[in-house]
Amino acid sequence: MSTAAQPYPFSSAAKILPPPATPPPAPLMQGKGLMQYLTQTLPSPDKQKLLTTYFSRRHPLRILPGSVLTVMLGHAPTTFSGVLMSVRRRGLDTSFVLRNVINRTGVEMQFFVMSPHLKNIKIMQRAGGGGGKAGRRMRRAKLFYLRDSPEKMSAISAGVRG
Amino acid sequence: MTVMWDDHGARFPVTVLQLENCQVTANIKTVRKDLSEYHAVQVAATDRPAKTATKQMLGHFKKAGVDPKRIVKEFPVTPDAHVPIGTTLSAVHFVPGQYVDVIANSLGKGFQGTMKKWNFKGLRASHGVSVSHRSAGAIGAHQDPGRVWPGKKMAGRLGGVRTTTQNLAVIRVDSALDLIFVRGCVPGIDDAHVMVRDAKKKMISVARVNHAKGDFDKLLPKGILGLPFPAGTKEMAKELPSVIEAPTHRRSPFLPIS
Repeated sequence: MSTAAQPYPFSSAAKILPPPATPPPAPLMQGKGLMQYLTQTLPSPDKQKLLTTYFSRRHPLRILPGSVLTVMLGHAPTTFSGVLMSVRRRGLDTSFVLRNVINRTGVEMQFFVMSPHLKNIKIMQRAGGGGGKAGRRMRRAKLFYLRDSPEKMSAISAGVRG
Repeated sequence: MTVMWDDHGARFPVTVLQLENCQVTANIKTVRKDLSEYHAVQVAATDRPAKTATKQMLGHFKKAGVDPKRIVKEFPVTPDAHVPIGTTLSAVHFVPGQYVDVIANSLGKGFQGTMKKWNFKGLRASHGVSVSHRSAGAIGAHQDPGRVWPGKKMAGRLGGVRTTTQNLAVIRVDSALDLIFVRGCVPGIDDAHVMVRDAKKKMISVARVNHAKGDFDKLLPKGILGLPFPAGTKEMAKELPSVIEAPTHRRSPFLPIS
């Protein structure tokens, strides 16, 4: 029996999460479109918004590789800035890599968008689609060549301060 | 397969399993020659159109009063654990925090060489090796025994066989969609049929040993007070919360070991 005292009698440690706001449509009971539904419902609305805007493939506000971002984390280092080198889009497992040069050492960090430690993403400089006023456009989706060319890294960082 | 983050913020992979209209079709009791008894509950899953089912199976499902199904499997139980025929099972049968074994056909890899199939080391990449860098090498001795031993490890078909992944933790249970989230990966392709059972090593063996010792607090894993008996049904799911998740018992990897 479901009582207020013990809603789930089989486990003392289990967490009871709120049921979905709208009941799921019938095809989901046969598993049709299940993973897409989970990608949309499992994370909190703010995190969902990150996936549909900043890290989507076609949204006008999406972050292009070559942008400079600052990420606020829940654990050390609390903030990390860097050039966006790659976005790995895998639904809930979406992650991105930022590269920076700190004390003459190249440092790369990979951040998972859905991680609870990722508090905030600030865009310091956008890499534009057309170049010029909108920002430089990178001709690659993955900028791993930056690892071998420090001069290009300096060019991008000079643009942030300038 | 997807990914989740626990209370400490550590990432772990999960596999999503769904119960598609699993119903009990028979309660089996067989008396062996030495008069011991075998009891089992037969469960059928995933509806199929009647025109694709054989007449024999149609008759079997009609006797049980359920729609024709694709998969019919048996689970050995104790004599007191029979479930009424026709009951629809639900995801609440599994308790978040318990361990399960998942059984399915593994991914087929086709005809594979000895290096992949048996972890042979192959031959050198250079230093005169000609055209046989990945081959098995010698397969026997000389005149004695003068033959190849039966069961000699050789190249052949790999995968596509029944495989069990043991001791997977159940993380989350969703009774609205009958979903079970287990930590880790399971054998087989996406949307394949799998069989989920209580873990033989981490649940059944542990319970048997502790029961024999008299340690009745340690029969079930940490935090679990009991399991639905004889089965978690749709009626039981109506009275329980819709989404239940297990907290992690591991320490936080982000804090130093104090």
